[in-house]
Amino acid sequence: MMVASVICSLTLPNSALGFPAPQQHLLGNGCPITYLPVADASVVCIEFWCQAGSAMEQNTESGIAHFLEHMVFKGNENLPPGAFDLQIESMGGSSNAATGFDEVQYHLVIPPEGLALACDLLPQLVLQPSLERESFQMERLVVLEELSQSEDQPEEVAFQRLLHLACGNHPYGRPIIGLRSDLLNHGPADMQRFQNRHYKAANCAVAVGGCFASDELLKILAAGPIGELDAEQDPALIDLNPNDLHMHWQPGEHHLSLPRLESARLLVAWAAPFAADPEALMGIDLWAAALAEGRSSRLVKVLREKLQLVESIDVEVHPLERGSLVILEAVTNPESLPKVRQELEKLLSQAQQGFEFQEIERAKRLLGNGYTFSHEAISQVTHHLGQASLQKRLLPLDAPLQWIKQWDQDRLHSLAKNWDLSKACILEVLPE
Amino acid sequence: MKQFELLHQPESPILVARLVLAIGSRVDPPGQRGRQQLLAGVLTRGCGELNAEDFANKVESFGASLRCDAGDDFLVLALKCNNDDAIFLLPLLLDMLESPSCDKDQVNLERDLNIQTIQRMREDPFYLCHEKLRLLLFSDGPYGHDPIGIKNDLEKIEPKLLLQISKQLSARSALLVLAGNPSLSLQEQCINRISGWTSEIEAGPPLIPEPLNNFAAVRCRTEQVVMMIGFRTVEIQNPDALLLRILQVHLGVGMSCRLFHVIREELGLAYDIGAELITRSSDSPMIWHLSCGIDRAPEALSAFLGEWRRLLEQPISAAELNLAVAKIKGQEALSCETLSQRADRLAALLSYGLPKNHSEICLKKLQHVSPAELQQAAQRLLQKPNLSVCGPASALNDLKHQWQVAMS
Repeated sequence: MMVASVICSLTLPNSALGFPAPQQHLLGNGCPITYLPVADASVVCIEFWCQAGSAMEQNTESGIAHFLEHMVFKGNENLPPGAFDLQIESMGGSSNAATGFDEVQYHLVIPPEGLALACDLLPQLVLQPSLERESFQMERLVVLEELSQSEDQPEEVAFQRLLHLACGNHPYGRPIIGLRSDLLNHGPADMQRFQNRHYKAANCAVAVGGCFASDELLKILAAGPIGELDAEQDPALIDLNPNDLHMHWQPGEHHLSLPRLESARLLVAWAAPFAADPEALMGIDLWAAALAEGRSSRLVKVLREKLQLVESIDVEVHPLERGSLVILEAVTNPESLPKVRQELEKLLSQAQQGFEFQEIERAKRLLGNGYTFSHEAISQVTHHLGQASLQKRLLPLDAPLQWIKQWDQDRLHSLAKNWDLSKACILEVLPE
Repeated sequence: MKQFELLHQPESPILVARLVLAIGSRVDPPGQRGRQQLLAGVLTRGCGELNAEDFANKVESFGASLRCDAGDDFLVLALKCNNDDAIFLLPLLLDMLESPSCDKDQVNLERDLNIQTIQRMREDPFYLCHEKLRLLLFSDGPYGHDPIGIKNDLEKIEPKLLLQISKQLSARSALLVLAGNPSLSLQEQCINRISGWTSEIEAGPPLIPEPLNNFAAVRCRTEQVVMMIGFRTVEIQNPDALLLRILQVHLGVGMSCRLFHVIREELGLAYDIGAELITRSSDSPMIWHLSCGIDRAPEALSAFLGEWRRLLEQPISAAELNLAVAKIKGQEALSCETLSQRADRLAALLSYGLPKNHSEICLKKLQHVSPAELQQAAQRLLQKPNLSVCGPASALNDLKHQWQVAMS
């Protein structure tokens, strides 16, 4: 079996946020290993990322990306079910995983003395799942319970409906956990096909942060399953027309009534630029913060503090590879919903005229500090490095702080002009 | 109780502050459940010369985070800001206790928001189940309700009552923990101001003895049944608290834990399963929880009961004990990554009257704990389980019968 050698290494531009400059090595098969040694860290964090989220599922494959993430922890011939958890947790470590629309990531945090074990076991676990039939049937029950649990949360049901209405048949319109009918039909062979198709060197990235020796780290990773990952991309994926992957946005107005809903919701979704354009998304983040972050923001100040129409209102930007989403959620009494809608329309229209200088400065401070505060721990920074290297957007850690500075009143005004309810997908949700 | 503590981080660009008063929701008087959380919210609505709008403007213009919340035991003011801005914001934190505005309209607004939040939380079957479990463990006395309170009680709380309570805040003993690199003069300013806050906190109402009833059910049209088994145990300062933590970690922490392994991995009964020990200054509850399909709920309850009996009837193995100890060591390493985590941990320890090196002391003690000691602790502290379930009526009767048979 060929072991990939380290063929290329580079140091990224600068240190920032109190961390040294991260470094990156490309293995012979092209898989990037990004690492950030911090001698005084009390732990080591290892993250494995792969472009194998639910958006990569084909027809009738819904839920298989997330189901595979569960099955990975069932192990293989060398790591029987539970063996990985037992060995890692016996050293004081912990691990978990998460599946999104665009990516799946597996992470592990362990005291420094567990580095060699973690670097040996995690790639084996993630890249060599046995997908044994009996375990598969048992884990399907667990996934179905997870689905039922989310269906018992009316807020989650409303959110999924909004995505379906806005994104239609695009994968972002399907729940990541999958459709029950598809989950009942998946078999180990289907899952193996999905795994073979997507878990390739070109689709994967590893990030490691904390207290460790770089040489030892690279040696172990290059000699294991990551170094053995197939360098060739699946031809079926190369031939995909990029336009087929893009979201077909469906603006409109919809109504939904749900059992067990206690408060009404006004949900509004807008399409936003691709995650590959983070500077543009930063402008939208500023717009969202000026509108709805903190009591001084326009929507909170008027709708909650002054008119007392909502319990809460917030706007969140979700960066996504095939078209980002901006989602506004207002929680209100059912009888106040029409008024909330009316006032929201008015406030968005006013925002189209632009924001005051102080409002923008406030939003910049909130966003900038929010970013700095959320990149304080080595685990947070490692997570950031993993996703950025997977998407080939590895920039200095403080790049977002520079982008914030580049947005001024005029530029934000130009952006705000485009945001109103006519382009949005709106869902009004009432108790049944 | 010590009043000031500094975690000095000379290189840190961030400053974190925790100002803690031992007046959490456990001091909510009868008929005023939710009062302390309402007070906490009102404290963020203006102080000194600043009305609610000015106050929010000031904090947000610095891009800072400033929260005030009531937990079960403590009311905590939490600030996180740039170190350079601390000179403007730390004094504000102290102003919130020394000269709260407590404006009538703001109290009414905060109260209405809390009532709406309670209404929304009722959408979550886990919340409904937990509320019933609190009543089983603590009746309607202290710890018997979520700090957010009860709608009917909140509706009766008058703004003038809040105003009266808020005026006494700065007379009370408080603890301030700073983490970061505050200037010496700023530290002195803080110490001078809080040194006058010396009155002892009056004890709240006494805890109500654990009720005899040990089963509660909430009807809910859900696909799953949420199940919580709760035990009323000991205060965090009790030597048994460490033994309980080991048992909780053994049962419910990580993917190698006992409940996860048996109920999820072997039986495929549940996705979400765990065990928590909610540390308190009195009678900490230990809670095991899961949610599962209606058809398999009796099997899940049998599995829960089997694990409970197992704890009482046989000691855990040496390997299981070693695993739990390793997990606790890992938890300790992971819980001091950020300044906020470190400030939270130190503030909690000192507020509970524990030494700063409590974690180190516990880690040393862990080496000498035996499986037999753990079994004896389980027999002392986990003898009376309480079951709360939330789900469709059709499932609840069967579970009640199953529980009664098991407990008879």
